[in-house]
Amino acid sequence: MTDELRPMDHAAVDELGAAFALGALEPDEARAVAEHLATCQEPHTEVRSLLGAEQVLAMSVEPVQPSAALRDRVMASIERVPQEHAAAAPPRRPAPAEPRERRGWLDWLSPRVARPLAVAAVVALIAVGALGLNLQSQLAERDRALRAVAEALAAGETAFRVDGSAGRGYVVETPGEGAALVVADLAALPADKIYELWLLDAAGTPVAVGTFRPSAGDEVAVVELERDLAGFATFAVTVEASRVDAPTNLDLVMVAPLEPS
Amino acid sequence: MTPSPPHDDALLAQRIRSGDRTALGELYDRYASLALATALRVVADRQLAEDLVHDAFVATWQKIERFDPERGSLRAWLLTIVRNRALDRVRGIRASIEVGAADDQSLLRTGANPTWEAAIARRSAAQLRGALEELPSEQREAIELAYFGGRTYREIAVLTGVPLGTANGRLRLALAKLRDALSLTDAAPSGTDEAAP
Repeated sequence: MTDELRPMDHAAVDELGAAFALGALEPDEARAVAEHLATCQEPHTEVRSLLGAEQVLAMSVEPVQPSAALRDRVMASIERVPQEHAAAAPPRRPAPAEPRERRGWLDWLSPRVARPLAVAAVVALIAVGALGLNLQSQLAERDRALRAVAEALAAGETAFRVDGSAGRGYVVETPGEGAALVVADLAALPADKIYELWLLDAAGTPVAVGTFRPSAGDEVAVVELERDLAGFATFAVTVEASRVDAPTNLDLVMVAPLEPS
Repeated sequence: MTPSPPHDDALLAQRIRSGDRTALGELYDRYASLALATALRVVADRQLAEDLVHDAFVATWQKIERFDPERGSLRAWLLTIVRNRALDRVRGIRASIEVGAADDQSLLRTGANPTWEAAIARRSAAQLRGALEELPSEQREAIELAYFGGRTYREIAVLTGVPLGTANGRLRLALAKLRDALSLTDAAPSGTDEAAP
């Protein structure tokens, strides 16, 4: 038994093997056993023979039939939730011949994750406060925004592609100035719901970084995040009844892995 | 319940990875009742258990790219997600929306162990329960506290009022007996039924 984290000897690993197999060690002990088994030249036959034993307990339970509604809930949720690897896949670059007026302006931004983008320029030209902006009635401003975005593409900031059932866009970050969600084609929300924004660290711990509710008819929304992206692995959006400290559901209506391409 | 052959699950995982929602539906049909039983065993609340099962299947869909068949079966991965979330809830930790490090670590110790997988596949849930019921009660209690209660052997020692060595020994003897009962090996564990403190 070890009371402090240090490399384990063979005897200690053998002694703790069953507890390890059942997940019944303290985290530092489990880490030490795992590291030992991963690198040790000794066979540790007894310990290795126990790995997987917890599946006996998992499979020994008497199955309980779920309610009929649960399957529908699951299937409805996966209709809305993109797969992580699909969301991270590079979107198609817009074809030059495609009529400009039929595309959302975000298609003019970087088609690749982590493509340089000057968020400050984008925000300055198209944002009117923290929330939505109706560009449909402001085509002149929209054109200026598009030009600004095109000019900003080489400016050295970072954009991460956001996709999902609620809309698509980018999380953009300007070092020293913070991050913002720029999103188009937002799905309408019920009257009693809001969008809540999250940053998640590598362990999946979510931190709330803002809420918003698009105005009717908004085509583009710009929402400043309350935290910068440093130390976080994923950006996500859920629909909530009010601002909460942790997501109440797994229906990620928008998601972006915060990883450079 | 007779589990589906692991190769079926491997194909199912491939289809889910390709974005086939009907495959996720098939996974649900295959394991939802088992997942619910696991969650219910841990949290003892039907509605909460169904919420956890919902979240686990959505996480499976969303994070399927993280599933590595070299490290365990899809069934084991799913049930690990369910169990870890249920234990988090019991411990008062809000369920993470990610498939997290705890799930990965669980699979590290579960591993792709074809011996246990094959032994389990040949038996019904009732037969597996029978093997558990054959254990001395204090050993069965110890492994159930570990798996369904998420307790460490140190906590088990406190909860059952025995020395650390005894609690750890009960886990070791219980698993060794299960291994033998399921004919995984001819090698019997050494020692008595009660480890020295």
